[in-house]
Amino acid sequence: MNPLPLAAISHLTAGRSQIGTSLSFHLFFAVLGVGLPLMMLVAEGMHLRTGDPVWRALARRWSKVFAVLFAVGAASGTIISFELGLLFPRFMAYAGGIIGLPFSLEGAAFFIEAIFVGIYLYGWNRLSPRVHWLSGIPIAISAVASAFFIVTANAWMNVPRGFQIVHGRVTHVDPLAAMFNPAWATETSHMVFGAYLATAFGIAAVYAVGMLRGRRDAYHRKAIAVALSMAAILAPLQVAVGDLLGRTVANHQPATLAAIEGVTHTERGAGLNVGGFPLPGHNGDVLNVKVPHLLSLLAFDNPKAPVRGLDTFPKADRTPLAPYVRLAFIGMVGIGTGLVALSLWYWLRRRRGSNGPEDRVTLMAIAAAGPAAFVANELGWLVSELGRQPWIVYGVFRTSSGITTSPGLGATFTAFTLLYVGLTALTLWSVRRIASTPVEGLPTAALGVA
Amino acid sequence: MSLAAVIATLLGVSLTAYALFAGADFGAGILDLLAADRGADRGAIAASIGPVWEANHVWLIFSITILFSAFPVAFSALGTALLAPLTVALVAIVLRSVALGLRGSPATPVRIQVRLSRLFGAASFVAPLAFGAVAGALAEVSSSSNVTASGVPHIPWTGAFALLTGLLAVGLCAQLASTFVALGLVRSQERRLAERFRLRGLQSGVGVLLLGLAAPAVAAISAPTVWHKLVGPALPLLIVGVGAEALSLLTLWRRHYRLARGACLITAAAVMWGWFVSQAPHLIGPRLTIHTAAATHAALVSIAIAGGIVLLLVLPAMYLLFAVFARPELEVTE
Ligand code: HDD
Ligand code: HEM
Ligand code: HEM
Repeated sequence: MNPLPLAAISHLTAGRSQIGTSLSFHLFFAVLGVGLPLMMLVAEGMHLRTGDPVWRALARRWSKVFAVLFAVGAASGTIISFELGLLFPRFMAYAGGIIGLPFSLEGAAFFIEAIFVGIYLYGWNRLSPRVHWLSGIPIAISAVASAFFIVTANAWMNVPRGFQIVHGRVTHVDPLAAMFNPAWATETSHMVFGAYLATAFGIAAVYAVGMLRGRRDAYHRKAIAVALSMAAILAPLQVAVGDLLGRTVANHQPATLAAIEGVTHTERGAGLNVGGFPLPGHNGDVLNVKVPHLLSLLAFDNPKAPVRGLDTFPKADRTPLAPYVRLAFIGMVGIGTGLVALSLWYWLRRRRGSNGPEDRVTLMAIAAAGPAAFVANELGWLVSELGRQPWIVYGVFRTSSGITTSPGLGATFTAFTLLYVGLTALTLWSVRRIASTPVEGLPTAALGVA
Repeated sequence: MSLAAVIATLLGVSLTAYALFAGADFGAGILDLLAADRGADRGAIAASIGPVWEANHVWLIFSITILFSAFPVAFSALGTALLAPLTVALVAIVLRSVALGLRGSPATPVRIQVRLSRLFGAASFVAPLAFGAVAGALAEVSSSSNVTASGVPHIPWTGAFALLTGLLAVGLCAQLASTFVALGLVRSQERRLAERFRLRGLQSGVGVLLLGLAAPAVAAISAPTVWHKLVGPALPLLIVGVGAEALSLLTLWRRHYRLARGACLITAAAVMWGWFVSQAPHLIGPRLTIHTAAATHAALVSIAIAGGIVLLLVLPAMYLLFAVFARPELEVTE
């Protein structure tokens, strides 16, 4: 009898689930780690310019939340660095020497970020306001840099370049060609925009909830306005970059494209499936609207171009979880479209009045958009990671060849899952505590609370 | 010196920085555990960790990155052979840093802070114990002759020698932290409180000295390969280590805290380099050396350059951090 409930699943599944859980957990903090420093800079910069204490209060509040999130983000990132070797040692033996460059540069970015986070958080009362604001800039830059470097490594897993395999050994390594593989630009920008977008909507959502609870003051209005101005620029950009990323996938990962778009049989002049939920027992046609030729046009700039169906791939090379990849993709695109619509609505309405719409429906939509933007990031990564399967490095190295030979993954997976549940609970609790302490540094008048 | 050797040296420097800085942080957690309910002690310990912890901790991440980029096969073998102790160390590091982060949040109520403190202390004890044991065990098998089919020997991380090095690591962490905290307290004129940390420093220092002297003996009995190195190429480092430890105890006794801290740092560095020398050029087991496990030349070049960039950027930034942290707080204007 096995005392551990999760220990019964297969070795490979346990390893994949463990690294997947760890990355999904880390992503939540990584997204805020990229986005919050910029928001803090904006708010503190507005304080420097206008002298309005509301801005400073916002920046301080966000920096407190950031301190907790950064600690958990760093811890969860450390877990992943270890797990790459503990769970997928044979993959690391293969890939470490090829994508070591972005990982080492990421190390540099972490250093800078961690050091300036220390300066920034402990510097509120030790540095002059201007110097303090300046000390936030390296944080914002290095956070984007670390996301950039790590995602180039992931782009390499999707579109591997810069090496040759001779007699089963990696040779002719060109670290720059590996890092700047054909997917680097689209994948990194989609990730960075995604992080900013989620942070912006996340912040707007927190304050929208506050307003729904009747706290309609300058503090809440300013927070929503600054967040939604960023969102309004980013949301359309993100959709456009997503389209470019889709073309990258189309050109380099045909099996992934077929899974994403739900193309079972090869089609010449393929139509785009809008909807088409892959429910079991239905052939991917639930609520489907097929727009003729659009997929071929979007993916290959040619309405007649053929799109390969999943059934043309040998069974062993087909994306095993294709329906889930499709579902995740529909979810991401759906949310993306919704976010664009919401920010358009907000700014069209705001131009007429000075305060922006504050009716219940708009506020509720904003409150829902925050979590949705985080979900879109998670879904996008599921598309990328599940969509690459059965490959850990697309087309050249299988996930099943990368897993460790050491036993006991069922136990480590169980332990880490429990750890994550605990960490999530603790973090949520701590952030809520911070949120429910009164705003300091503000005369009550500025809050305008009755 | 070959490029692989240059990078291995960089790895050594990075690991030493981790051992010294994060070691002092782990030690702070151990002292925190021993401080039981004395709030003043706690405060002094917390003030010595402050914002520097996250930055210190990056040395570990950087070391891992160098290891897997420059010596991917060795990283892979380590991860496979040491899944259990490294997972233990990892969980301890995570719990430690999360407990510390949440404890420091002003919004956390006292009752919870006490529990988080205990978690923080226990995890700070376990992590160096596991790392020290892994290091000792790796030294033990570096020229072992019974290799399994995979080319990697069984690694006796629960053996006698590993236990000794694990405890040595714990002792060093505690002593490092004691000297750091005591020096900080003396500087802020809190001499009475400093006495308590002086005592802790003396206690852990005696432990370190005894373990250091016992190391060759235990090695002679249970880890003959290490014994040969300790009386061979690593002998100068052993002598420096024991000498610096004795000096550290003496200066601590006479309340020369700065000297004591310096000597203690030298002891820790000597232990680390003693370890490297006892197993150089082997990374894990007899077959995987810095040459056989190295990535291709182009990869090594790129890592050496990236490593150089890190040092160029990080050292001045580190200096800045310590400088800001040493400043007094300005008037709070709220
Ligand atoms: C706020 C988040 C967000 C939003 C609104 C969107 N995406 Fe996205 N998407 C991501 C966040 C994201 C992501 C989490 O950041 C991913 C995972 C991997 C990556 O580079 O970005 C991603 C991956 C990803 C991929 C998979 C790439 C691969 O296999 O590696 C495609 C094809 C798209 N996206 C396309 C789109 C399109 C056409 C969108 C239009 C509505 C869209 N995304 C909205
Ligand atoms: C933070 C966002 C990310 C999320 C949410 C995520 C999610 C996942 C998931 C769910 C899996 C399991 C897939 C499966 O086996 O079916 C996985 C696997 C993996 N991911 Fe990611 N991933 C992320 C980013 C990255 C990045 C940036 C890298 C590399 C630099 C990476 C490397 C890996 C590796 C090596 C595996 C194991 C092999 C495999 O299953 O393909 N991931 N990830
Ligand atoms: C898309 C994927 C990822 C993004 C955008 C990302 C971004 C970030 C960011 C912004 C941080 C700073 C910490 C914070 O603010 O919370 C961070 C921390 C960290 N990440 Fe990730 N990361 C990703 C995936 C990974 C992967 C695959 C690894 C493993 C190799 C990793 C390893 C780390 C480590 C070790 C830290 C701690 C660094 C420190 O102490 O400062 N990350 N990551």
